[in-house]
Amino acid sequence: MSFLVLEHIKKSFGQTQVVKDFNMSIEKGEFVSFLGPSGCGKTTVLRMIAGFENPTDGAISIAGKNQNTLKTNQRNIGMVFQAYALFPNMNVFDNVAFGLKVAGKPKSEIDARVKEMLALIRLDHLADRYPYQMSGGQQQRVALARALAPKPQVLLLDEPLSALDAKIRVSLREEIRQIQSQLGITTVFVTHDQEEALSISDRIVVMNAGRADQIGTPSEIYNRPATRFVASFVGTLNMIDATVADPAANTVKVGENIVKLKESIGALKGGDKISIALRPEAGSLSESAKGDTSLTGTVVLSHFLGSVIRTKIDIGGNQIAFDMFNAPDAVLPQPGETVTLRFNASDFLIVRD
Amino acid sequence: MKTSKALAWFAIAIGCIYFFVPLIGTFEFSLRMRRGVYSFDAYRSVFSDVQFQQTFGFSMLMALFTIVFGMLLVVPTAYWVRLRLPQMRPVVEFITLMPLVIPAIVIVFGYLRLYNSSSWIPFTGSIQGTNMLLVLSYITLSLPYMYRSVDTAMRAIDVRTLTEAAEILGARWPTILFRCIFPNVMSGVLSGAFITFAIVMGEFTMAALLNRPAFGPYLQLVGANKAYEPSALAIIAFAVTWFSMGLLQLVTRFSKMASSRP
Repeated sequence: MSFLVLEHIKKSFGQTQVVKDFNMSIEKGEFVSFLGPSGCGKTTVLRMIAGFENPTDGAISIAGKNQNTLKTNQRNIGMVFQAYALFPNMNVFDNVAFGLKVAGKPKSEIDARVKEMLALIRLDHLADRYPYQMSGGQQQRVALARALAPKPQVLLLDEPLSALDAKIRVSLREEIRQIQSQLGITTVFVTHDQEEALSISDRIVVMNAGRADQIGTPSEIYNRPATRFVASFVGTLNMIDATVADPAANTVKVGENIVKLKESIGALKGGDKISIALRPEAGSLSESAKGDTSLTGTVVLSHFLGSVIRTKIDIGGNQIAFDMFNAPDAVLPQPGETVTLRFNASDFLIVRD
Repeated sequence: MKTSKALAWFAIAIGCIYFFVPLIGTFEFSLRMRRGVYSFDAYRSVFSDVQFQQTFGFSMLMALFTIVFGMLLVVPTAYWVRLRLPQMRPVVEFITLMPLVIPAIVIVFGYLRLYNSSSWIPFTGSIQGTNMLLVLSYITLSLPYMYRSVDTAMRAIDVRTLTEAAEILGARWPTILFRCIFPNVMSGVLSGAFITFAIVMGEFTMAALLNRPAFGPYLQLVGANKAYEPSALAIIAFAVTWFSMGLLQLVTRFSKMASSRP
């Protein structure tokens, strides 16, 4: 049986339903990210797990125990907030010790546990500092130690990296993942940053308008998006309008190109419109490139972006972005030039709404 | 540009003259009790007056009770409004502003009508009851200043997130309020306390009409019967107010230093 189970969760604020029949099972020790744009309901689900909001309908259980009737302070959950939320009147030691003191632990146990937590986040030398004397990254690490100190059964992370600068964000997310793996704590991470979610999660829940559009591993979410929303939200994707050429042969027409798809086009008839998608990094312009499929078009423009060169190619009215790695001797395709993009048929995704 | 600057300095000078000349005059007059020489005789006379000591001590005690009970009312109210009832904020702000709009004499007559010795709640039936009513009336008078100073201090901290952070760590309401919120709004609490102290020390209407031996009515009594002592008392009253304001500035500066990043 799964450790954290959310069954048919619904939440309405007045007339507005922000979470619509949300179902999810999370295993013990798993790191799950809720990914989605602002207002998709991801934070509301997290707040319902924490007990800050009550579900309008549905049940939340942890280790088989229903949490709906429990207050926040009875759930034994740790949480890290976007705004750090360290107590300004307490130093680092007292902040980390707060949950243990509230639980009435003996002083010797509190001292040992706080020291252990501060060593874990490598801030044991800053135990006497106050929050205002620390950087944002340090404060968030203290917030993580404070959340972990009482040994919670679930750790909730509510966009903990959003307020930090880019470099700190990357190093801290790696640190969070490493600590989570080390402790084996079940973790739910809320973010709107796809790179964050893809880089540290065991599984990702892509949320859209109060529902989970897709639940899967980072690879599944990126390579096999289940809906048009997931395809457009995660990574950059070329959406191509095509028409079914021959349903029996599983081929579609893009401009003047006829291409065979690996994925079945289903019950569509010849001439029906179909949306297919292609990642910019799939394929190559090199004639020696491997690939069972190709599309020929005209270069519209080329951009030098440092590590990659992005070229836009017009194929039957569709502008397809294509990325290739930069090399010192790379020649940028020129506007107006006719080029052939080679790739595998399996790179095409059929996008269903 | 230069003309406007000169005009600004002129306005400031007028303001200073308007404020300081009477004050200097009062101070100078308070030193003239002994004929021909300046002396602190008037101050000596005031400080040696038993009634001064009694009324000053009484008002100090009333101020202390006002601050303690006022804060016990205001801090949880401001906290609750900010956390759970933000839509009630305009209503609470309006109520706390009422004492500035309704004259003290109207409020005290209302109290006497409601809480007289033959009413359901006969506060004025005993000395302790009347003292209690006086403290309650002082809380009412200082409500606009107390509420605003505490509310402003709460605006500076993220009350909601701090509450949630404490709650998820297992804390209950008393712990959250007294260990996580109260210490972080202490600058506001102290600011409100000093203003309240200054108000209570000089208040006349409530104490006089409730017939309590406070410092305000004593000031009026001395003013009506003596020559030099009223000036000395006015300077003492100013000194008390300025001392309170000085402490207020000090607290504000310390809280600013504490909240600013290095």
